[in-house]
Amino acid sequence: MRNRCALITLLLLLSATLQAQNDWWNSDPSYVVPIDAAAITADRPMREIGIQKTRLDTVALRDNIALSIADVLTFNSSVFVKQYGRGSLSTIAFRGTSASHTQVSWNGMKINSPMLGMTDFSTIPSYFIDDASLLHGSSSLSMSGGGLGGAVVLSTEPADYSGLGIQAVQGIGSYGTFDEFLRVTWGDEHWKTSTRAVFTSSRNDFTYRNYNKKIDGEYPIDTNRCGSIRDFHILQEAYYNTGRGDRFGLNAWYMASTRGVPMLSVDYRNNQSYINEQGENTLRSVLSWDHERRSWKVHTKAGYNGTRQSYDFIKDKGNGQMVQMVESRSRINTIYGQAEAEFFLPGNWMVTAQLAAYQHFVQSLDRNAMMRTGAVIDGNTRKVAIGYDQARFEMLSYASVKWQPTQRLGLSASLREELYGYSFTPLIPALFADYLLSRKGNVRLKASASRNFRFPTLNDLYFMPGGNPDLKPEKGLSYDAGVSFATAKTDNYSLEGEITWFDSYIDDWIVWIPTFKGYWTPRNVKQVHAYGIETKAGGFWQFSEDWQLHLNGSFSWTPSINKGDPADWADEAIGKQLVYVPLFSSSVNGSLAYRSWKLTYKWCYYSERFTTSDNDIKSKIGRVLPYFMNDIVLEKRFVTAPAELSLKLAVNNIFNEEYESVLNRPMPGRNFEFFLEIRPNLRKR
Amino acid sequence: MKILRSLLTAVLAMTLAVLPSCMKYGPSEEEEFNVDPSGEGLFIINEGNYMYGNASLSYYDPVTKHVENEVFVRSNGFKLGDVAQSMTMADGIGWVVVNNSGVIFGIDPTTFKEVRRITGFTSPRYFRMISPTKAYVTQIWDPRVFVVNPVTCETTGYVTTDMDYDSGSTEMMVSYGRYIITNCWSFQNRILKIDTGSDSVVKSLVVGIQPESMVMDCNDKLWVLTDGGFKDSDYGYEAPKLLRIDPDTFRIEQSFSFPDGTHASRLTVSAEGDELFWLDNGVCKMSTDATHLPVRPFISREGTLFYGLTINPVNGEIYVSDAVDYVQSGTVLRYSQDGELLDTFNVGINPGSFCWR
Repeated sequence: MRNRCALITLLLLLSATLQAQNDWWNSDPSYVVPIDAAAITADRPMREIGIQKTRLDTVALRDNIALSIADVLTFNSSVFVKQYGRGSLSTIAFRGTSASHTQVSWNGMKINSPMLGMTDFSTIPSYFIDDASLLHGSSSLSMSGGGLGGAVVLSTEPADYSGLGIQAVQGIGSYGTFDEFLRVTWGDEHWKTSTRAVFTSSRNDFTYRNYNKKIDGEYPIDTNRCGSIRDFHILQEAYYNTGRGDRFGLNAWYMASTRGVPMLSVDYRNNQSYINEQGENTLRSVLSWDHERRSWKVHTKAGYNGTRQSYDFIKDKGNGQMVQMVESRSRINTIYGQAEAEFFLPGNWMVTAQLAAYQHFVQSLDRNAMMRTGAVIDGNTRKVAIGYDQARFEMLSYASVKWQPTQRLGLSASLREELYGYSFTPLIPALFADYLLSRKGNVRLKASASRNFRFPTLNDLYFMPGGNPDLKPEKGLSYDAGVSFATAKTDNYSLEGEITWFDSYIDDWIVWIPTFKGYWTPRNVKQVHAYGIETKAGGFWQFSEDWQLHLNGSFSWTPSINKGDPADWADEAIGKQLVYVPLFSSSVNGSLAYRSWKLTYKWCYYSERFTTSDNDIKSKIGRVLPYFMNDIVLEKRFVTAPAELSLKLAVNNIFNEEYESVLNRPMPGRNFEFFLEIRPNLRKR
Repeated sequence: MKILRSLLTAVLAMTLAVLPSCMKYGPSEEEEFNVDPSGEGLFIINEGNYMYGNASLSYYDPVTKHVENEVFVRSNGFKLGDVAQSMTMADGIGWVVVNNSGVIFGIDPTTFKEVRRITGFTSPRYFRMISPTKAYVTQIWDPRVFVVNPVTCETTGYVTTDMDYDSGSTEMMVSYGRYIITNCWSFQNRILKIDTGSDSVVKSLVVGIQPESMVMDCNDKLWVLTDGGFKDSDYGYEAPKLLRIDPDTFRIEQSFSFPDGTHASRLTVSAEGDELFWLDNGVCKMSTDATHLPVRPFISREGTLFYGLTINPVNGEIYVSDAVDYVQSGTVLRYSQDGELLDTFNVGINPGSFCWR
């Protein structure tokens, strides 16, 4: 509440006192955006030769402040977004792989957890990201190794205006949900600064019909228990552009999050009698210097990523007295440095070299059995700390050569070599090509082939108990080929689309499996053949001066087949789809704009995700059924002399579907959130 | 505005028509079971996967060689829960302890219908009937043994121990006269003797790191198998041990040490109580009179992940479960007393324990 008051006070103060020239103010409230044919059908840049990339529309990123990047990807791509509940862990997987096969960067710095390998996209507010792209398959090698499925590249950009700008949004929604957002920007010819803050809180106590329990012979209306959310984010950016080819930047993002761990729908424990909560405090910061000349560019970055994570399980002894039963703490400190140079040589050659280094310090401690002073060493009161304290140095080197022998043909070859601790990966080569088949419709063929390796995470190697220091890196080999087109007529229509076939083989896939001693251990057990088709299409149609329709869709078919040797004489998993990889996924979103009104419809679909490796569909207890999800947003913009206002109503799950993304994790039914956005007019009068 | 309204209506109508629901979530169909109450019957307790909520109960008739899987959900119309740990028959009721759901279901062993439900636990492991109105329930991460009334399904008290909440745990329970003996497994090293009259611990004995399972033989001797913990553990690590203990004096009479790196588990006793069985890369067998451990398994099978073990109390046949890869239906292998494979049948995920009706 204190944060909320502070944001509102700051907004009022700034609105009342500041007057400045700026381009932030938009006197035209129309949602109809100009269609620029030249921009849509322009040649692709040389650095994107053969690259399979999905760039998220800025409109999607700015849909509403309650959305995380996980929510945006759900409705704007065909990657699989696995949600453990509303406001809970959400991971992204490409092309039939797992969450740890998705590499993620923020302003150039990798932000995958060195402990777990994955990234929780539910903790990345979409309003904090200005540019988001997906690099599919081999294309991820231009960012990092280890993206056996792909990579998500997230970055912030200097605001494109001068003077002072303020944007404030207040959201109020179902289940006691409040979202506040404030952005203050200032810029001139050389300087651009931006401060963004988000505060989200929700009781998240939605109700649902629980078909997994019976109370007095009836399926009860149950409440999502222990799922409350309190997240605060602040992002400070400052950029200085000399105007002579140099730009300096600072990005610092701090997050403080406290979230309950929602109970399974088969849990009979009383949520009043225990606290099950996880916390995270993370600071990510990047300093950058970009030096650009006509024929060469140098980009250097240095950064720090510090994370403190906690998990607490506290229960009532039965007499109202609470006792701590689990107290897990982990600390991650990462120092990062990167230098990249691009040279443009005569004859349409481009050479890129990149060197990045990460030093991770990780301490993971489970204090449910902590050693204490005076403990009796040989008796049952002996306590021990369980965990590990490890450091790992990682060095990523990359070089690529790109050549455009004719205007239609582009070729690219790259080589990557990475060091993890004391182990080098073998050389990771990749080849890319594209060819402009037809200028009419901008029809372009693309193809690529690459190797890839992913090193075990620190938990894989050292987790206590179970870490396996003898793990081998996962090895990948992948190919893809596709065709894309783009056509447009200024202020009339635009249409673009792409279809890609991909084929990849992954050996020594790491899987955590239980042991007789009650803990789990990772092993290199699987060989996987993941293949399929990705398609996407989108376009605008402006059928009158005031009306515009925008449609975007994607579809993926992703068989991901276990091709390993049988683990056991009774193993029925060979030749079957991997657990929690949907065979089909799809999303469509469309918006209809009429002057200052806009209606947006969002839809996504995932086919059944198997929870057993033998793909058992006879089971009554282990099926996560297919689902369609439908959201709708209606917004209206007003321009008044003192401020530009926007009202927005979002209705999620409009058909009130009962569904699960993960087995026995309930999801909410129809829910609402209302947003009011204010941008004060700070122009000089 | 008229046009806008018409368009919005059209879009919504189109959406409703084109994008309907395909959900199938809903009640599970209930089935009627009525197995022969006179014959033998074996329940297989399939743990499922932690935090998946896919535990299940299978039922096998050794006479007809017929197995029914997921009998709990099929009979009751709702799921068993997350991580089924154990099942005990007492007073004509099968008590199924579902660890991570914090619940114990009492079921009718012929219809599989729920007849009792006890809640109020955080992590229950085993149930042991003391009298028709009194039972003990052990918990992990809890130093107390819960005293419950199986008729009213209420907690009536606790047996307290000297352990702490954050590291205490009790596991299996073996009856000896008016006493219950329980092993303290997770990061512990003792067994405790509890007087069921006073609900208090009367003796404790350090047996070695992580006593995993216990049985009582025909000579009223207690056998305890320790798993030795795990390598690099700050709590310590040692080779597993098999110990013979006098339950009266609570002293170790005989100790057998396994070689380093052994993964011995699931100590079981024959119906006559004169032979011990356990899992260690196969099924191992040893007479209670033996002076040394067997050098090789009695039953071994290449490519099999032995996971659970029980002996038919009527004919001495050996039932071993195979967890395969831990994320698919497991299998049970039935062997003769001589170790000859008789047949196999599929059950649920991670069949960890058994209960004879």
